[in-house]
Amino acid sequence: MAEVEETLKRIQSHKGVIGTVVVNAEGIPIRTTLDNSTTVQYAGLLHQLTMKAKSTVRDIDPQNDLTFLRIRSKKHEIMVAPGNLAFHFLVKLSFCFTR
Amino acid sequence: MTPGKHSRALARAANAGRLQRRPEKRWWTTPQLVATMPVSPSGSHKQQNFGLNNATQPNKSLSFFATMKGTSVKGYAGTNQSRMVVSKTMLIPSELKTIEKTNPNIKTIQVFDINGIDVTPRPLYHPDPLTGTAKPNKLLTSQEGSLGSEFVSSYSLYQNTINPSMLGQFTSSFLLSCILPFHLNHTSEDLEESSYKRERLTSFHNLRVMRAAPETVITKEDLEKNIEIILTETETLRFFDLPTVMVSVESEEAEKVIQRNKNYEVLCRNRLGNDLYVERMMQTFNGAPKNKHVQCDKIIMEDKGIMSTAWDLYDSYNAMELLSLSVKQSSAESSSKANVLPKDREQRLAGSTTEKSSEASSLMDIENVILAKIHEDEEDLSDVILKSDRFHQDLFFMERVLMENIFQPKLAAYRQLPVLKEPEPEEPEDFLENAKHEEVEEQPKKEEEEAIEIEAEESTIPANLERLWSFSCELTKGLNVSSLAWNRTNPDLLAVGYGHFGFKEQKRGLACCWSIKNPMWPERIYQSPYGVTAVDFSIGSPNLLAVGYHNGTIAIYNVRSNSNIPVLDSSESPQKHLGPVWQLQWIEQDRGTTGDDKRESLVSVSADGRISKWVIRKGLDCYDLMRLKRTTVASNKKGGEKEKKDEALISRQAPGMCFAFHPKDTNIYLAGTEEGHIHKCSCSYNEQYLDTYRGHKGPVYKVTWNPFCHDVFLSCSADWGVIIWQQESVKPFLSFYPTTSVVYDVAWSPKSSYIFAAANENRVEIWDLHISTLDPLIVNVANPGIKFTTILFAKQTDCLLVGDSDGQVSVYQLRNMPTALDSGQTIDIQQTIIKSERTE
Repeated sequence: MAEVEETLKRIQSHKGVIGTVVVNAEGIPIRTTLDNSTTVQYAGLLHQLTMKAKSTVRDIDPQNDLTFLRIRSKKHEIMVAPGNLAFHFLVKLSFCFTR
Repeated sequence: MTPGKHSRALARAANAGRLQRRPEKRWWTTPQLVATMPVSPSGSHKQQNFGLNNATQPNKSLSFFATMKGTSVKGYAGTNQSRMVVSKTMLIPSELKTIEKTNPNIKTIQVFDINGIDVTPRPLYHPDPLTGTAKPNKLLTSQEGSLGSEFVSSYSLYQNTINPSMLGQFTSSFLLSCILPFHLNHTSEDLEESSYKRERLTSFHNLRVMRAAPETVITKEDLEKNIEIILTETETLRFFDLPTVMVSVESEEAEKVIQRNKNYEVLCRNRLGNDLYVERMMQTFNGAPKNKHVQCDKIIMEDKGIMSTAWDLYDSYNAMELLSLSVKQSSAESSSKANVLPKDREQRLAGSTTEKSSEASSLMDIENVILAKIHEDEEDLSDVILKSDRFHQDLFFMERVLMENIFQPKLAAYRQLPVLKEPEPEEPEDFLENAKHEEVEEQPKKEEEEAIEIEAEESTIPANLERLWSFSCELTKGLNVSSLAWNRTNPDLLAVGYGHFGFKEQKRGLACCWSIKNPMWPERIYQSPYGVTAVDFSIGSPNLLAVGYHNGTIAIYNVRSNSNIPVLDSSESPQKHLGPVWQLQWIEQDRGTTGDDKRESLVSVSADGRISKWVIRKGLDCYDLMRLKRTTVASNKKGGEKEKKDEALISRQAPGMCFAFHPKDTNIYLAGTEEGHIHKCSCSYNEQYLDTYRGHKGPVYKVTWNPFCHDVFLSCSADWGVIIWQQESVKPFLSFYPTTSVVYDVAWSPKSSYIFAAANENRVEIWDLHISTLDPLIVNVANPGIKFTTILFAKQTDCLLVGDSDGQVSVYQLRNMPTALDSGQTIDIQQTIIKSERTE
């Protein structure tokens, strides 16, 4: 438990990470670092997308499973790690590297 | 008579025209006008117009239609029909008989259309070649055709059909009637047929047909005869007769008509009370309708939809298995939970078994939770979720992915993969000159502030070290990196030991397992109160990590598990080392005569002067390979020197600093001592050295054999020097004294036998013996205050790992290394070096 917390904290404190949300199987956020409305919005939308992606992967081969989902957009990158009971995603800003 | 003449003259030519005109009624009579026609009484013609379609006068109708074949039959038929109807009412039955008699007079006629082509209707069973006929012809032909089959059979019917009401069976009799005159009117060609038909016609009692006289053969003489032609006027031909509805009172018929009208009126009057005209009504039984109501319970309908997907089915089938599994695994839960090995990527990625077990375990968790605290469902679930293994794994993935995001260019450079160019809003300064990479991106990190940065110039640069990243975290900050070791199986896994060298500076120690994929946080952290001085991964079981401590303890950890407790510990062993374990190495040794398997054992050297070999049986068992004895300078006699007497020594044993087993012959190994001597020893003898190499004045910190040239080895020592030795020669082969600082570590490059790296206090030097033996090829200066303590080459890539005294392990990439003509993997290194030395 402590390790999980630690890892979560480490990820959250990473540079470039805007927020992290942990969502349970129904799509209800359990833990979040974003504000409420954003969390709810992200959770709802991403939950559906993840389910769809998972369904797609498994439809092709039932023994396969979705391990990771990444959505890259112009401004952000959303990473979703789907789990059996919960999935967890974080929003990251891809920042430009400067010297 | 004019019509008659007219008709006669134009009989052949103007048939069609005539037919098209109204007086079709009269047309029946035209057959008589044709030359071939036999003479017929003219008087009968008049009456013929009355001989319309009647039950008793089929012939007229037939002939009527026969002649009209080539004309617009349709209109004709229409009018004819109407005329039929009309005529029927007007018909006077008394005249019928007379008309009948005239029937036989009707002979064959010929029909010609406008073009003068013979379009005489032929019998049905002779297809009539009609040319240029209009639609009505088709109508007739179709009618003919339809009746053709019935022709023969319907002969008998003919009378029957005609006798009854003509209107009803108008069409059939009409058509039938038109057939027969066809046969009556035939040309000379069809004499047989016509005779045949005439014969058939004689079967009708209504018809009276007279045989036509047989034609006489015309001879030439006949033609020259004078023939008398008498022209007479024919009777009047009536083509159209529309009987008047009104009759003049003064006419002859007036009386009759009046009489008839009166009769009719009388009839109508009589009709009212007459018995003959009675209205009758009929009554039928109607069934009485009855309404009935039925009431029933409302039928409840439920809709249920389910989308069956392939994985759904699969899951349902497997759910049964899982349930049984979960029961079994309740006891083995702890072990399954610990079954998360990040290093063993195969196990993780093909994680069907682990997932199942973790699923099962998490299922069990949930079940327990739900049973225990029902009212606190949600909170517990969330806790469970957070606790669950799976979640941890997911977090792990997430972190890895994050790292990949950040470090992609660096990692790519490390792995010699193309660097992905990230689309960025602003253009970074392009300072790269190297054509391989698009951009070099460095991420500013707080730990990197003290790090070294090499700036590449824009022109062609010499070989240099490019710093990629460094393994460090806040845990390791301030610690001294004492040892580095790669995992034998997993090239991405690195073990780093943190501990200070000196006795005074002893702090807590740390042994970490880092993964290349996550440079920001170690995968495993093994903490201990003592400084770590040596680490090494096992060969046979790559999950075992041996850690040597400053207090002489050796611990073996299983990196698969997350636990902090070593699997084996030598702290209890009576034969444990008494001094810091300076080097550890797993050796696979041939058993020689006894065993056939290569047994792996751990060899350690420590400051108490012992080189011990540890074997894992029930515990850590060790036996000494060698006890390093002090050797005095006196043993190296050079003639004339006085022998020094044996000094009273505190300890007879020299602390060993390092050792190196021969890559080929694992029986032979080198041991470096604190005295500065390097002893060549054998495992078979644990009392004596085979050889002693003297050259160093200070403690020898590292000895390594050249990976390619097995006669050459390298050593570094605190006397600022790096010496290359040859196995046979006791004297140094080549020595380097680049700086006035302690050289902590040397390592041969795995790629070339000419290149080696040396880490002294404030520099990392890369030497290329091929190029120069005086100067290092690359010099990398450290930040002030940081010493480079350890050095390690990466095997597959061109990278170098350097550990420093600040707890950082930096990864450098060797770039622009000059490629040698030969890879240097020959034994000719000695000659090459000798040559190069001589030239200089």
